[in-house]
Amino acid sequence: MAAMLFVMVGGAVLPMLGSDIEGGSLSMGALEDGGPGGAVPAQMTVSVEEGIEGGAEMEVVEMKHSPEKKRRVRIYSQKFRKEWLHLKEFQGWLTEGITDDRAHCTVCDKELLAGKSELLKHSRGKKHRTRAAKSNPNPPPVQHGLSRVIDEDGMPHLLRIVDLRSDTVTQPSREMKKAMMEATLGDDVFSEDPTVKTLEDRVAQMLEKEAALFVPSGTMANLICVMTHCWGRGSEVIVGDQSHLYLWAQGGMAQIGSVHHRTIKNLPDGTFSLNEVRGLVRDEHDPQSPLTSLICVENPHHNAGGKAIPLNWMDELGALCSELGLPLHCDGARLINASVALGTSPARIVQACDSVSLCLNKGLGAPMGSLVIGTKEFIAKAKRLRKVLGGGLHQSGIVAAAGLWALDHVAPRLSWDHTHARALAQSVCEEHSSAVTVDLKDVHTNVVLLHCDNIRVNAKKLCQRLASVTDEESDELSEQIVVMALAISDTTVRLVTHCDIRKEDVRSATRKLKYVIHEYDNMMYLEYKISV
Amino acid sequence: MYREDVLCRSILGNIPGRQTRQYQSPSHTPTTMTDFKGVVVDLRSDTITKPSDGMKKAMMEALVGDDVYREDPTVSELEKRMAECTGKEAALFVPSGTMGNLISVLGHCEHRGSEVLLGDLAHIFLYEQAGMAQLGGIQPHIIPTNPDGTFDVDEIPVRLRYEDVHYPRTCLVCLENTQNVCGGKVVPLHWIDKVGEVAESVGLPVHMDGARVMNASVASGVSLERILRVCQTASICFSKGLGTPVGSVIVGPEKFMYKAIRLRKVLGGGMRQAGMLAAAAIYSLDHMVHRLAQDHHHAQLIAKAINEEKSRNVTCHPDDVDTNIIIVNLNPETVTPDQFCERLLMVSEDEINETGDGGVLVKVMPWTTTTVRFVTHLDASLDHIQAVITKLKYVIRELDSIH
Repeated sequence: MAAMLFVMVGGAVLPMLGSDIEGGSLSMGALEDGGPGGAVPAQMTVSVEEGIEGGAEMEVVEMKHSPEKKRRVRIYSQKFRKEWLHLKEFQGWLTEGITDDRAHCTVCDKELLAGKSELLKHSRGKKHRTRAAKSNPNPPPVQHGLSRVIDEDGMPHLLRIVDLRSDTVTQPSREMKKAMMEATLGDDVFSEDPTVKTLEDRVAQMLEKEAALFVPSGTMANLICVMTHCWGRGSEVIVGDQSHLYLWAQGGMAQIGSVHHRTIKNLPDGTFSLNEVRGLVRDEHDPQSPLTSLICVENPHHNAGGKAIPLNWMDELGALCSELGLPLHCDGARLINASVALGTSPARIVQACDSVSLCLNKGLGAPMGSLVIGTKEFIAKAKRLRKVLGGGLHQSGIVAAAGLWALDHVAPRLSWDHTHARALAQSVCEEHSSAVTVDLKDVHTNVVLLHCDNIRVNAKKLCQRLASVTDEESDELSEQIVVMALAISDTTVRLVTHCDIRKEDVRSATRKLKYVIHEYDNMMYLEYKISV
Repeated sequence: MYREDVLCRSILGNIPGRQTRQYQSPSHTPTTMTDFKGVVVDLRSDTITKPSDGMKKAMMEALVGDDVYREDPTVSELEKRMAECTGKEAALFVPSGTMGNLISVLGHCEHRGSEVLLGDLAHIFLYEQAGMAQLGGIQPHIIPTNPDGTFDVDEIPVRLRYEDVHYPRTCLVCLENTQNVCGGKVVPLHWIDKVGEVAESVGLPVHMDGARVMNASVASGVSLERILRVCQTASICFSKGLGTPVGSVIVGPEKFMYKAIRLRKVLGGGMRQAGMLAAAAIYSLDHMVHRLAQDHHHAQLIAKAINEEKSRNVTCHPDDVDTNIIIVNLNPETVTPDQFCERLLMVSEDEINETGDGGVLVKVMPWTTTTVRFVTHLDASLDHIQAVITKLKYVIRELDSIH
């Protein structure tokens, strides 16, 4: 390594050559002989800048040299090294200090000595860890399974996290990723991606329809279907008042598609009254009315608790639509779950439907993607809409391959998700609690809806309680369990099982649920105000 | 006569009302498909590139989460990096450039009766299926584009609408860099700054359709941050020259991103474990940006080769080629773009004998009524480009010998 030695003599910097530099110390032999500047002045500051592997890079050596007494006093102080900013232990809080021998901790807002061991000691301190955990802008991803987490006091804990918020949280497995990487690709905008074509053909065949179209999400699939059916201006759609398409698509059919809707009251089993439908269909000769162009059904009905719609009712609805001359669209986001629950093929369920939307990114576990299925003519129009919405992806075969793998390997095991959901519901039923209730008959697929009595507990509080751990709880259960769930209304908490949930997760979640419900049942005081 | 089985029909199609001219071509002896041992080079677009092994490895190893809950760490990392390198506050990962532009326009023009000023050759205007009008109720107001991809800056205050019950309200100015239709032109930095200055003086934000802005940055040597300085938002593609399978990013102020996330959701762009795709984008930022210069060099080689032929029928000037797109002009009296593309997809025995190595087929896109577009990319190596040049020279000489 090249060593550069500068001697500052009375303010001027002169390069010194031939000095003996060993291990960071400076022998002043050459200087004592007099340097290129002539006589050595009484006081002089020498800066040595050299790169030494693993050691202190910069040292300031102050020397007071008087001609009478040859006294050398060497003071070394560490300077800040930029390489430290790349080290893992120092990332996110270390910056340079005010002077070059100081460092600054942004989290504690404190100046520190720029020495590596000092900084390491600081980073391990309790106060720093606490503050760092609080101020972390990008918290580590919520990891399902066993996780090491730092709490508010900076103490690490081993938690079992069971994520039951939705079946969209599943991680792609190693085999699924392998299938993705080995897929043959092409440009789907030119319709040249063979893997996407394979997926589309396969799903179309599975549902016994003519063609299918791969899209990035279920929201886009439903939006495309509605807009394709309602191709003309002034259209209206009849849709259930508890359906996902109406409630949770951000009003997309109106906002983006200029399509109006008429809601029909959903019954608790996810169906609606067919007679009422007749009453909602508009008179096409009336200029005050928009034109009814589509009827939508959701199967399984998510808000009703993931209920599979009875097959005979679907057939009756189909017959009604044929009679009225209206197309029928099925929002089949979790259609495969419904087919497993009913014990019939998905094609049979949607036999009477003109178009279907099916999600790969939910229970089937693919990282993203959904499909629109319908007639060839329908799909040709749908393709145009997909492009204008921005869903025309290029080498999308890489994600379509995940869908294909999911259909082969995850679809056959969907009944396990239903079993797990029933196990969770069963555990809540066994408590015979009045605070948190569930109807076991309502659990058809992988969704469990817990109803809170809104006196001892409401949905938000229940979710918070399930996601936190108390000391007594960890003592009694001898395990720290966090169950993540979603509050979908003031009094309803939704649990959704999926392919990442294993037996031990179900067991832990069951124990947690029982403990928490038991806690509510034993409450001696009312924690929450009763609003009258 | 011709090798029908090798014709690429999907790019040609039938355009009603198009007159096919008399194309005199010497007779070719057909060869069967199974005999074709030559090279097929696809220069239709830089979107056709496939992910490399390194990119796939990065995708497989990425940490993922549910991006709709904003829990995907790889997507967050990509968004942070893009915000940093463009000098903006925040970024958002979206499935495509079309959606990126659509979200940006809808986000800027939130109220009814809005109008957007943009060039008449802009991709947003021509090739996004009129999305802003179809889905957003927004009117595009076009300004004539110059051959270098710019438009007259003075047109902005002239075409700006003032408050009147007859007028929509101008709410946005859109720029495109590199300008695709003009031939991948890098628009001058001083022009971008001027547009920004004028737009600011009349109170309008500027959005840049930067689908290929990485190419512009590499070609001009100017940083992304500098190019986008006057633009409030920009849409940048990874699925083009940078070679990822899917994905684009919008960059802009943090407040805008709140709107953008909502718009992305309603349009159906809320993907779940999108970190796998974001990982490919991060990989491309680390490994694929600098090699864009190679694509530009390859484009120059093709342009030079065509220019050297000094043909009356097929012309192209290397000075017109700024980045990886080459627009080749055809003599309308001699050959149409469709015929030229068809010819490049055919090969005869004489040709194979003369050029050796089994012949070359080149896929390109007919662009306008008199031009054809070639786009170089990372899957077209120097050998491929040289094969293309060989083929082009043969075809041009053949054309010149007839006409």
